[in-house]
Amino acid sequence: MSTFLLILITGLGLGALYFLVASGLSLIYGLMGVLNFAHGAFLTIGAFTGLWVSTKVFPNPTTWTFIAAMIAGGITAGLFALLMEQLVINRLYNRHIDQALVTVGVSLVATALLGGWFGFDARFLPTPLWFMKAVTIGDAIIPIDRFIYIGVSAILLIAMLSILKFTRIGLIIRAGVENRSMVTALGINVRMAFSTVFFIGGFAAGVGGVLISVFSYGVSPLMGGSWLIYGFIVVVVGGMGSVAGSAIAAMLIGVTNQFANYYVPGLGDFVVVIILAAVLLTKPSGLLGKVSH
Amino acid sequence: MLRWKYSRPLLIAITVIFAILPFAGDNPLSKAGLQQTMAVAFLFGALALTYDLLFGFTGLLSFGHALYFASGIYVTAILINDFNWHFLLAILGAVIFTAFLAVLTGSAALRTTGITFAMVTLAFGQAGHVVIARDFGDFTNGDDGLPVNADRLPDFFIGVVNTKYLYLLALGILVFIYFAAWWITESSAGRVFAALRDNEQRVSVLGLNPNRFKLLSFVLSAAMAALIGAAMLIVSGSASPRYASADITIALLLMVILGGPVTRWGAVLGGIVYSVLSTRLNVLSEGSAFDSLPSFIGGPLSEPAFTLGLIFILIVMFAPGGISGAYYRARFKYLNKGK
Amino acid sequence: MSSLEVKDLHVTINGSHILQGVNFFVPENKVTALLGRNGVGKSTTLKAIMGLNPGTGTIKFGGTEIVAMPTHKIVQMGLGYVPEDREIFASLTVKENLALAERDEKPNYELVYSLFPELLTRTGQRAGTLSGGQQQMVAIARALLNKNKILLIDEPTKGLAPKLVTEVANALAHVADHSTMLIVEQNLALVKAIAQNIIVMDQGKVVFEGGPENLQDDSFVKSMLGVSGGHK
Repeated sequence: MSTFLLILITGLGLGALYFLVASGLSLIYGLMGVLNFAHGAFLTIGAFTGLWVSTKVFPNPTTWTFIAAMIAGGITAGLFALLMEQLVINRLYNRHIDQALVTVGVSLVATALLGGWFGFDARFLPTPLWFMKAVTIGDAIIPIDRFIYIGVSAILLIAMLSILKFTRIGLIIRAGVENRSMVTALGINVRMAFSTVFFIGGFAAGVGGVLISVFSYGVSPLMGGSWLIYGFIVVVVGGMGSVAGSAIAAMLIGVTNQFANYYVPGLGDFVVVIILAAVLLTKPSGLLGKVSH
Repeated sequence: MLRWKYSRPLLIAITVIFAILPFAGDNPLSKAGLQQTMAVAFLFGALALTYDLLFGFTGLLSFGHALYFASGIYVTAILINDFNWHFLLAILGAVIFTAFLAVLTGSAALRTTGITFAMVTLAFGQAGHVVIARDFGDFTNGDDGLPVNADRLPDFFIGVVNTKYLYLLALGILVFIYFAAWWITESSAGRVFAALRDNEQRVSVLGLNPNRFKLLSFVLSAAMAALIGAAMLIVSGSASPRYASADITIALLLMVILGGPVTRWGAVLGGIVYSVLSTRLNVLSEGSAFDSLPSFIGGPLSEPAFTLGLIFILIVMFAPGGISGAYYRARFKYLNKGK
Repeated sequence: MSSLEVKDLHVTINGSHILQGVNFFVPENKVTALLGRNGVGKSTTLKAIMGLNPGTGTIKFGGTEIVAMPTHKIVQMGLGYVPEDREIFASLTVKENLALAERDEKPNYELVYSLFPELLTRTGQRAGTLSGGQQQMVAIARALLNKNKILLIDEPTKGLAPKLVTEVANALAHVADHSTMLIVEQNLALVKAIAQNIIVMDQGKVVFEGGPENLQDDSFVKSMLGVSGGHK
């Protein structure tokens, strides 16, 4: 029972990290039809910003400095995403394949830039000491970082859903995911919505980058690439354009991954891609998908 | 037509020159180092062409092409090492195995289209990568890679002095793949592939089953990728999980875009240029070429991905069609000037 | 200033030359009906005016060239559009669908709810679960919320039950009284009731412009529209 609980919560923690990567990918794809390969770079940029804040700006890590690191990581990544959208994506209006290709280029350049500046060796991101502790639930001993991932993701999930539900730009985004040309035919300039999803997506990925640095014990320019693939998988399983779908799929995949790895070490990743193939072949639009571009 | 009437003789002449150079006295290509670099580049040129067959000619955006390349490498290595097959038989076995694998995965993936298809192929590709890197079934030796048993290869492929034969092997494979791709794309099936890319409805109206032709294109390019993989095993001496990673497929995409899709020679050139650039830029960065620059410029410049990524962005944004596209545009202008 | 002038409009979609030099004029404060057989390019013409299909040629709205303008700017000039097949947002509620369409300081909800009282009882319902007729009401309501200078309406009664056709037709007749309108419609009875001008298209071109009285002539209807009259 204690092992079960440990694996379950670890899986949910992993899923929470997946969600931070996937939510933005999903919104961007759902609204704009752009498969954003630079999303991994957003994550990495967030992680490096977090590292900078946690080592140079505030050398003595406390809970508050860690929160500052997450926010700084989110904002930097969000601004980078916004910049990319304005400078590159916007100029390739409606050329979806080219937009996807150009994000591949941005991802290569950003990774190489960070690698050239900081090297490819993983660097340790200092955290407050209590992150290393564990809590006891029943007879299960569970490392506390899992709860941090879950908590932060839950806050961001609620924030994103609130923006989508209660603001005008959120209404435009939801409508645009369904039928973008009709939104313009109501006299709405969807460019604002594009910029918004890129910033929100970049922000979530940036915060995710800081947390992933804690999870995987280091910051490295290459960290974005491998998480991006799992981000894609979560998005596709959850349904393109659906934030709630991404959240459910992320949890499902995180938990499955951990249980499979427990029984056969290394099997987790394999099971995940098989889930992906199975979902796509039976329901190509994903669990909660509205669009199938 | 845009084709220059001497383009074919020129292509043959270039090929012959490349084939002779390693044996023609003292020149850059008589050195084993560059021969090895070029051999790998030729194979990537050929591999890019097989990807162009899918992406450019048929309009299928696959993110799992590396799977078939890796399957060619690994199955050949396993058949040679563990089953003691003759290397030619092993290559044949690997190509047939990969073709079957492509029939299975391709017919499943082709139930979807567009981005979903890209994601399903990515999933299969990743599954393959996991199987290889985690060594399920104790065949692949995991992350350490799998050196091919040199005793089972002919002597003229072994040793630094014989690199020129590896070079010839790679060039030969490239020529073979080029002709195969030429034959396929100019055949009636090839015309259907092109029609599928442009307008799938029209093909089904003609009474042809679009999916069957897509599968044909998928399997053919996979089988060719497997053959190239087998050659890569011999050229590089060992199989490694990185050949199965999604990075390889993305690199192939970059190569095709760099050279320009749907022109055949564009993809090959893109593959060769990309491969040579990434190797040579690496060498440059290990030397002192960038030492005189301030480190915030020199650091990124010494990363091949930085330069390649930048070139790639510029091509997508300002020069669609890549190298071959630019050539045809220039030629089009030139031809119209005469009128 | 709400007349619409289309000159030499060409549209090519996926290699098919759908509009081959369309010319017509929609006068101010009148209802003009755009008629023709299926597939002659009526919907494409409306979409081209709205900037939803890229076209070449001249489209002047109140004297301003709008042919290469982005769709949202065209709409902001005062063109209301009710597309074929409604294109309401299925996952949004009725209220959200309408809220999205608000452009004016004071959107005219009174007009909308007086024309379609049924919508008032369903504001919280997801639009995708509405009947076809109710969806059409939402689509028309979106265009009526704002003070548009011209309404472009594409087959508003298509696929509706007879009772709903009457309701939609009454609403349109009410609005038609005081606005410029270009309407694509197969229901000739409705056209006769509200239109002051008719334009007939065939194979990507305009082949007739004139008054609706021509529709009384069976041979005209048969040769132009390929249907046998509106008399039953």
